[in-house]
Amino acid sequence: MAKLLMDQLTKTYDNKVTAVENFNLTVEDEEFIVFVGPSGCGKSTTLRMIAGLEDISSGTFSIDGKKMNEVQPKDRDIAMVFQNYALYPHMTVYENMAFSLKLKGMPKAEIKDRVRNAAEILGLMDYLNRKPKALSGGQRQRVALGRAIVRDAKLFLMDEPLSNLDSKLRVQMRTEISKLHQRLKTTTIYVTHDQTEAMTMATRIVIMKDGVIQQVGTPKEVYDQPDNVFVAGFIGSPAMNFFNGRIEGNYFVMGQTKLLIPDSALPEGLDNQEVIIGLRPEHITHKPVKDESTVEVNLDVVELMGSEYMVYATLEGHSFVGRVDANLDLAAGTVFPMAFEMDKARFFDPTTEKRIK
Amino acid sequence: MRTKDFAYWLFLAPVLIALTLVVIVPMLLGVYYSFTSWNGITTGEFVGFQNYIDLFKDERFLASLWFTTKFSVISVILINFIGLSLALIVTSRIKTSNLLRTTFFMPNLIGGLILGFIWQFIFIKVFASVGEMVGMESLQVWLSTTETGFWGLVILMSWQMAGYIMVIYIAYLQGLPKELLEASEIDGASSFQRFRYIVFPLVAPAFTVSMFLTLSNTFKLYDQNLSLTGGGPYNSTEMVAMEIFNTAFVQNTFAYAQAKAIIFFVIVAIVALFQVYWNKRREVEM
Repeated sequence: MAKLLMDQLTKTYDNKVTAVENFNLTVEDEEFIVFVGPSGCGKSTTLRMIAGLEDISSGTFSIDGKKMNEVQPKDRDIAMVFQNYALYPHMTVYENMAFSLKLKGMPKAEIKDRVRNAAEILGLMDYLNRKPKALSGGQRQRVALGRAIVRDAKLFLMDEPLSNLDSKLRVQMRTEISKLHQRLKTTTIYVTHDQTEAMTMATRIVIMKDGVIQQVGTPKEVYDQPDNVFVAGFIGSPAMNFFNGRIEGNYFVMGQTKLLIPDSALPEGLDNQEVIIGLRPEHITHKPVKDESTVEVNLDVVELMGSEYMVYATLEGHSFVGRVDANLDLAAGTVFPMAFEMDKARFFDPTTEKRIK
Repeated sequence: MRTKDFAYWLFLAPVLIALTLVVIVPMLLGVYYSFTSWNGITTGEFVGFQNYIDLFKDERFLASLWFTTKFSVISVILINFIGLSLALIVTSRIKTSNLLRTTFFMPNLIGGLILGFIWQFIFIKVFASVGEMVGMESLQVWLSTTETGFWGLVILMSWQMAGYIMVIYIAYLQGLPKELLEASEIDGASSFQRFRYIVFPLVAPAFTVSMFLTLSNTFKLYDQNLSLTGGGPYNSTEMVAMEIFNTAFVQNTFAYAQAKAIIFFVIVAIVALFQVYWNKRREVEM
């Protein structure tokens, strides 16, 4: 159980390339924090600094108030799961899990207890004598998790642990890791580039881009109240739709299209200003009654997902995605009235790309 | 299996013909000659197993065989130990690692005969001078006794081959997945434990290759032996290859030498195959 503090954490390579800049974060005990962002955003580097596999260029990192910058990885009391499992190929599943305990000089009987316990949780009892080569990807990842569990470490670090698995297995392992966290309550930092994993598993999400934190918040916060265009576009699938235009009175105007914004939803002082509005796909839909926020659009592509349609269309040069109930009959190439729920719109400054509240 | 067509054999022909002419035919002829009293000029008569019976009573041959075996065992251990150590040094994060690699590999570029003469100079002149200076008599008699001749050969061979073997170990060390070492670091392994439990077992395939190369090289050693000690004193540092050469070209008993060569071949083949089989079993597939 651990409380982490990252203060102005920075990583520079050869005094030139800055991979992570001024990373500030406090992680409370038992939290499940997910670092998410596109490739090269610095999330793995940050994790590796926390693990001690990467030197910290400046700033401090502490666990339970104890500064860790100079502490060796083995003395940090952490466990880590790697993307490609990093199982020792010459050891059996049992030996892989027992390795760290053996190094600690733990009595054999206790090692056996702990490994069996972890193997039972992870459903690995039948595989204890196999070598990693004889396991499937999902089983290997379980062994990697098991290796972390037996340690009973203060902190779990997971570096894209599911990205080598196929999508079905990924969903399954995702819930298993969540369950594991609920059971063990170990503070966890999880790195992924998959926003679905971040949304479904995290207690708080840290969204990064170009080595800088964009926003920290609960999944609901970052989804509903994104701080900027990047966060708004990164979180959510399909991504949020953006439209460039200007505010004229109570209307959002782009080209020939005018959409009425309810008073309550419109931030003050935007009259005659250029803005970007963001609308999630579920807020561009079909309503039986037409009003001043309904627009007739030509449907480019219609995808039936089962319970709903994903509707791809273009409005004033902006392509967007909407969601429409599957009960209706839709076809690509036809004209259809789409309702823009402007009360759900988010407003962004076109130059800073920050949200206007 | 499909019958191979004409083109298949046509493309294979150059290699097959060359192999037959320079390896298979001489080999079979050699086996035949070992059953005769061939002296290099006349084929002589068929003597059955007489040559083979004689060589097992030939003390000089048996001594050289024993000497070679001792030399090989010690050299193989030393060369692999030094080679792996050097590889670990140059793959660690030191600044001069490229320079060191070149330096360590250099001895291997010098021919065996020349190396022998260089080390002869070192052992006889340099060691003696140093011995005189510090007053150590043991340094002044190098290569003049069987003991010092033996160790002289071992030092020479290790010095020459360790750099070569190092290159093989480097290749395997660099092929180790980085995450495995990081995982072991996080699991709490010290550098020594990391080497003992992770690195060492995972470079096992390198042992197979390196031990095969060192074993066959040390067993067949001739030119370094010739130039460093010349077999002396009193043929006591004569290794099998040299003994066979002397039997054939000095004593002109070609058929007898041929029989020795065949026994030697069988021994080297058995040892090499056995060690490859044994090492292969220990290897891990990644």
